[in-house]
Amino acid sequence: MDILTGLLTTAFLAGGVLALAALGEVLAERVGVVNLGVEGLMAMGAITGIATVTSVPSPMLGFLAALVVGALFGMLFASATVLLRANQVLCGLALTLMGTGLASTIGRNYSGMPAPVTFEPVQIPLLSQIPVLGPAFFSQNILVYLIYLVLPIFFSYLMFSTRHGLNMRAVGENPAAADAAGIPVNLMRFSYVTIGSALAAGAGAYLTLAFVPSWSDGVVAGRGWIAVALVIFAGYRPIMAALSGLLFGLITALGFIGQARGWPVAPAFLSMLPYLGTVAFIIVPVLAWQKMRRAMAAPAALAVPYFRDMR
Amino acid sequence: MFGSLRLQRLPSAHPGIALAARAAAIFIALFVAGIAIAIAGMNPIELGGRVISASFGSAFGMEDLGVLVIPLILTGLAVAVGQQIGAWNIGAEGQFYAGAFAASAVGLFVPGPQWMILILMFIAGTVGGAVWILVPTLARAYANVNELITTLLLNFVATLLVYYVSTGPWRDRSGMANSATPPLSADVPYFWGIVHWGFPIAIGLAVVVALALSFSKWGYEVRLVGSNPSAAKYAGIPVRKHLITVMLLSGAIAGLAGMLEIAGTVHRLQGGISNNFGYLGIMVAVLARGSPLGVIFSGALMAFILNSGIILQTQGLTTSVVLAITGFILFLTAIGDELSYYRITREKA
Repeated sequence: MDILTGLLTTAFLAGGVLALAALGEVLAERVGVVNLGVEGLMAMGAITGIATVTSVPSPMLGFLAALVVGALFGMLFASATVLLRANQVLCGLALTLMGTGLASTIGRNYSGMPAPVTFEPVQIPLLSQIPVLGPAFFSQNILVYLIYLVLPIFFSYLMFSTRHGLNMRAVGENPAAADAAGIPVNLMRFSYVTIGSALAAGAGAYLTLAFVPSWSDGVVAGRGWIAVALVIFAGYRPIMAALSGLLFGLITALGFIGQARGWPVAPAFLSMLPYLGTVAFIIVPVLAWQKMRRAMAAPAALAVPYFRDMR
Repeated sequence: MFGSLRLQRLPSAHPGIALAARAAAIFIALFVAGIAIAIAGMNPIELGGRVISASFGSAFGMEDLGVLVIPLILTGLAVAVGQQIGAWNIGAEGQFYAGAFAASAVGLFVPGPQWMILILMFIAGTVGGAVWILVPTLARAYANVNELITTLLLNFVATLLVYYVSTGPWRDRSGMANSATPPLSADVPYFWGIVHWGFPIAIGLAVVVALALSFSKWGYEVRLVGSNPSAAKYAGIPVRKHLITVMLLSGAIAGLAGMLEIAGTVHRLQGGISNNFGYLGIMVAVLARGSPLGVIFSGALMAFILNSGIILQTQGLTTSVVLAITGFILFLTAIGDELSYYRITREKA
């Protein structure tokens, strides 16, 4: 395998975690709810995935279990932020602390243990023969196709080409107007926050069942926060979220290659790259693309609770 | 449905109800934690008794609490100061490490008398913390980039940096353990038992900040910017200047927490010197409703909860339980905060 193929293979694999979590956050933010609990949801998903496959050796079951746990935590978060209209920032931070703490507590018995079963790579017939892209993309585990192809295209179509998607965006831009037009604002918010949370937890399971693949304390390592930042960078668009996940996969892959090839940089500095990169990527576009600002702007009602009685 | 009663949302929350909501949140969270402990097959009442006697039953227990209170008051104060102007500094953890890192550089490599080293470490710690929040501050002030995410991401960078120097170039080469630096050349003197002078410094700083915010022109302007930035701008208050100074001050306070922790408690730089102090500081500030004086009390409360977690470690629990319980308290507090805006009124016939 040449260096480019190796780099891309790792990039697709590593970026999948961020792409899936960012996709989930796009859904929540498009309906006007900022969920800062992604980091905690990923930790819960990661430990759920490992714990499930330790008793039942099926990676798919582990992934599905993580989705369910994520949806349950998402409903808890949505009950507080959408139904009771509590502060979204506080509830999100709370969810991150709860999820991270709970996952570490449960994870003590699984620490350092490699996943007994993992998602195995699948060779797609014909397509895997394409030079470079074949081995790098079309020979990955099945979740990779879900994350980079199926989900982004589906949600992009849903969001921008259907009536439902128009309603969805209306809820995020102007909930009062949406409500007046008969769109069920709270139901819409509750549902997409729940789905988004499920995807975030799924990203955690992907981490421990396909990418790392093992549990250790702090395995999520800020990826949830990077995912939240990527949503801004991706301009709240599903396909862009998947692509920016890939971009960060590439940065992570560069770090790996640097370590493997013995570049004269300490591994700790290579590990800093994704975090520093994220900081740069949310600051630079604001300065550079003044004209794009409107197209890439956040939903107008983001993080604003909706009070029907105070319209 | 409720007869003539109806729920009314008021424009401002009743502070008494908000405080009661906090007490209820802590009570419920500890109750749920107790149930979880019981399900895990342990006796929560017996464990609770053990925690209380270990914390308050002896001078040693009280001293342990005193040591933990120092960084929690300071990181809580750092977050609270930011909240006063409407900035979320979620990066106190990183600024804590940056302050510890900068102060260690002085303590390891600068020769001189103790008092001079301590003053230099103090300066290095605060400057280190302020430098760590500099980029998020400028990005917020000049490009309106959300400081929440940028401050948080830098936490991971600071943790990696401290891990790198303490296991790499600054590693103690004399002993067997190679994950820490050699002891620093200066220590903060003890104030009471093993509690160092950081204790009165932290409380004093909280009082000074509270006074400055309440009674100075600067404090008045900062609070005005925090409650209504556009009105403040219209009134001719230099919003950007205040935002920058307050955020840098917030970073400096968190950096001071890191400096005091290594110079007063740990005495050498190593990875994991922070017991999530930066994240728990968010909780301290929220429990205090962003009040610098309240931080002293909520910091003490948080120290008790954290210390309980440390005591329970010997009972087969981990300190990550504390993080989970803290998150739960924060969650309930957020809900309680919103509910304290409501009033039940009787409709006039």
